[in-house]
Amino acid sequence: MKVRTLNSLVLVAFAMIGLAVASAWATTPKKSTPAPAVAAAATSSSGAAQDDTMRLEGEKRFRANCARCHAAPPKFPPRMMGTIVRHMRVRSLITDEEMRLILRYMTE
Amino acid sequence: MDNTLKFARTKATGVLLLGLLLSSAVMYCQSEAPIPVMTGSVGYFTKVTEGQVQNIPSIDSLLLVPIGDKWLIEAKSDFSHTWGNQQGGGEYGSSSSYGLAYAQVDYIANRYMTVVAGRFIQPFGIYTERLAPNWIRSLQATPLTVPITSGSALGGMLRGGFPLGTTKINFDYAVYFSANNTNHILATDRSTGGRIGFFVPALRLEVGASFEQLLQEDRSHYVGGHLVWQPYSVPLTVRAEVVRSSGFYGNGYWIEGAYRLSQVPQLRRLELVGRAQQFFAARVSPTASSDVLDSVGKDTNQADFGINYYLRSDLRIATSYGRHFSLNDNSNQWVVGLTYRFVMPLGPKGSPR
Ligand code: HEC
Repeated sequence: MKVRTLNSLVLVAFAMIGLAVASAWATTPKKSTPAPAVAAAATSSSGAAQDDTMRLEGEKRFRANCARCHAAPPKFPPRMMGTIVRHMRVRSLITDEEMRLILRYMTE
Repeated sequence: MDNTLKFARTKATGVLLLGLLLSSAVMYCQSEAPIPVMTGSVGYFTKVTEGQVQNIPSIDSLLLVPIGDKWLIEAKSDFSHTWGNQQGGGEYGSSSSYGLAYAQVDYIANRYMTVVAGRFIQPFGIYTERLAPNWIRSLQATPLTVPITSGSALGGMLRGGFPLGTTKINFDYAVYFSANNTNHILATDRSTGGRIGFFVPALRLEVGASFEQLLQEDRSHYVGGHLVWQPYSVPLTVRAEVVRSSGFYGNGYWIEGAYRLSQVPQLRRLELVGRAQQFFAARVSPTASSDVLDSVGKDTNQADFGINYYLRSDLRIATSYGRHFSLNDNSNQWVVGLTYRFVMPLGPKGSPR
């Protein structure tokens, strides 16, 4: 049995999603410029700058990965965070490097 | 040997063991090693479908036990209870459902591969493995294609994710094999399959494909594609999945958009969700066996709209309205409820550096 046409409400849902996608598309910056802080920290060799770079990298990886499936989680105490990040590594297939950076960022 | 000597020896061994136990406990407490964690969610939903009211409290709990640097044990169980009246306002009734969602051992072999053994969720598409927990899903109604591909496996799986060469793309994969098991709440099919995905962190864009081959019954197979896009410029998440099956399970797709109003100060806790989906029943000969005819669904279009209110990242009020269109059966469903995700330490949790 076949429902051939798309019903109006389904079309409304499509239209809403389409509109949201279009607005996202329109507002996406066309070229990504590296954040000045990251660039500055990367060229400096002092330990504090190194820490800053790591923190920024960790935060960046957190932003890229940890709100993809569910609402971005808060930081938990370090020994809980270790378990959670290991679990999320297996579940969400984030890379080894991302896991380390995120764990560091989340336990600071 | 006389008795006093024997006793003294036992006592000495006892003291030694106790000392060993205590010192390792102290070491464990002072170390930074990950500890076991109990997590899960509780939910309470009221669903109204064409005059039928159902109340559904539920609790899922997941125990995570890390061992050493490379191992993780995961065990999850679900429980839910449904009570309500019959369609059209008749008698009240209730039923419970419980199950072991998964019980698996993960071994992180190296940066490219994790080995999983036990009972686990089949890696197909994005719904069952990632979005199904009720505190995660944006709409409580499951997509129409989910019953086709969701399921548990009993066997082994290899999975991993790593950056592709020097490009800014992460590749991920999962391949599995499952044995046939007929134990009723733990039932699994003999099947094999897998999923691959490509994720571009700079765009927060992921595309992927899945495959499953049933190695029993009608030996049908399923192929699927998925897409997730979360642009950085607006708080929007778009997810879509398409599934095709051989045999009599039908084909379908769904696309969902969730928009968090985080840019509007007074409304930043609100999330608006819309989903459109179509399901196409398989064409089978009308003379097919009744078993086959019963499992063939109907062509259906469905639209769902939802509003979620995040009191916190782990606590939210979820409401939705869905309309379902299929031959001789157009219906509405209203859902309102609450979800809460908990995470509890089972040991000394340490303090930040
Ligand atoms: C691919 C989807 C996905 C991504 C990406 C993801 N998660 Fe999860 N997360 C899940 C799922 C699914 C669960 C629930 C697991 C269950 O109950 O079976 C979960 C559960 C959790 C929990 C509850 C405790 C637990 O371990 O179950 C926390 C906290 C969490 N995630 C944090 C994170 C962090 C931090 C990141 C970034 C590294 C992350 N998640 C990335 C899918 C994801």
